[in-house]
Amino acid sequence: MTEITENEDAHEFRSEAVSLWRITFGPLIWAVHFAACYGATALVCAKGGAVDGLRLGIGIGTVVALVAIVWLGWQAWRQWDLVRDRDWENDQGTGEDRHQFLGHAAFLLTVISFIGVSYVALPALLIGTCR
Amino acid sequence: MLNPSGRDALLLYDLALVMFVGALVLWLLVGGLFVYVTRINPREMSRGLAEGLIVGGGVLFPVVLLGGLLVYSLPLMQAPREADEGMRVHITAEQWWWRVDYELPDGSRVTSANELRLPVGQRTGLVLKAHRVIHAFWVPALGGKADMIPGRETYLSFLPESAGVYRGQCAEFCGASHALMAFETVVMEPEDFEAWLAAEARDATPPQTQEATRGAQVFAREGCGSCHTVRGTQAVGQVGPDLTHMGSRVSLGAGILGVEPSDFADWIAHTETLKPEVAMPSYDHLSPDDLTALAAYLGGLE
Repeated sequence: MTEITENEDAHEFRSEAVSLWRITFGPLIWAVHFAACYGATALVCAKGGAVDGLRLGIGIGTVVALVAIVWLGWQAWRQWDLVRDRDWENDQGTGEDRHQFLGHAAFLLTVISFIGVSYVALPALLIGTCR
Repeated sequence: MLNPSGRDALLLYDLALVMFVGALVLWLLVGGLFVYVTRINPREMSRGLAEGLIVGGGVLFPVVLLGGLLVYSLPLMQAPREADEGMRVHITAEQWWWRVDYELPDGSRVTSANELRLPVGQRTGLVLKAHRVIHAFWVPALGGKADMIPGRETYLSFLPESAGVYRGQCAEFCGASHALMAFETVVMEPEDFEAWLAAEARDATPPQTQEATRGAQVFAREGCGSCHTVRGTQAVGQVGPDLTHMGSRVSLGAGILGVEPSDFADWIAHTETLKPEVAMPSYDHLSPDDLTALAAYLGGLE
């Protein structure tokens, strides 16, 4: 009995550890996208390089980042499981609740990351000059 | 800013108007909704309506609205940085005045100070620098403002659309007389501007009257030329503003006084009172006669 519980706990802990990591992925993509956009723009503009190539690169990088964020968001949305149980808070303190709460947090973070990545890319796409 | 006379100021005016009206509409909507649910119809909402209100009104609506305003406003940032159409003016901020240096398409330079002249209907580039501390360049009627930073060059361009005199002001705190660091921007018809620039490029007019000749002697005797330049004379100082064509400017002391003879006398005798911590000492030991003569000399440098 004790052994089974310990096994179950260990298994559950492992899977929660993974989804705990997973909630950082959305903001992480946002951070990498942000640093890459600003770094590349500073370099290209300082060297007087090709602005059109830079904008194309930022455009492609942005699409890749957004697709990855949407995929993470979809995973998190399923983990939150809102549609089935209409449970917004998951405040019962059970293992299942903790699991769904991490999905909830990850989903909200992917939403803000999606907005962040889009807004960061807009100046590069709308202003076609280094001035 | 509310009375734009240049293309760039007009863009900023429209931008400010759109943002203000947008903020007003949002404020009325939020306030109205608040009054409605707490005063007019204070009943319990269904869960679906409440969730829709939070997600729709709290997340989707602001994201779409802010996104729309961002897409509208970002392209407006290009115009004030567009390249010039031939003429560039190098402006260096000092404590507390402006060096102004016109660079013509052929590469030649015309030096002036404390006044900016621009032709109507032509985009002029402004290359901005600063000496010692950070300043900011701002002519509200003509465009946005730009920081002036020691060791760096910033760039702004203006496209004035009607002739007139527009006030400029340092817009970044730069020391005791920051508020007294102003200038006038005189926007002229292109042919008038050409004539003015040709005159500005010439050496100083020699004193025309006896009074002015005596003023020139006082100027030399008091050592004014070790700080100020009057081209075509012994005065070649670089510390203070160039005075070669002082008499044709519309203000004195970087925008704080007029150009009547009494203003010249007032300024020379009381610089430290009129502009605290200024580098030029008050020449209050000069006799009224000497001051009148100096005013006649400087006012005659047209």
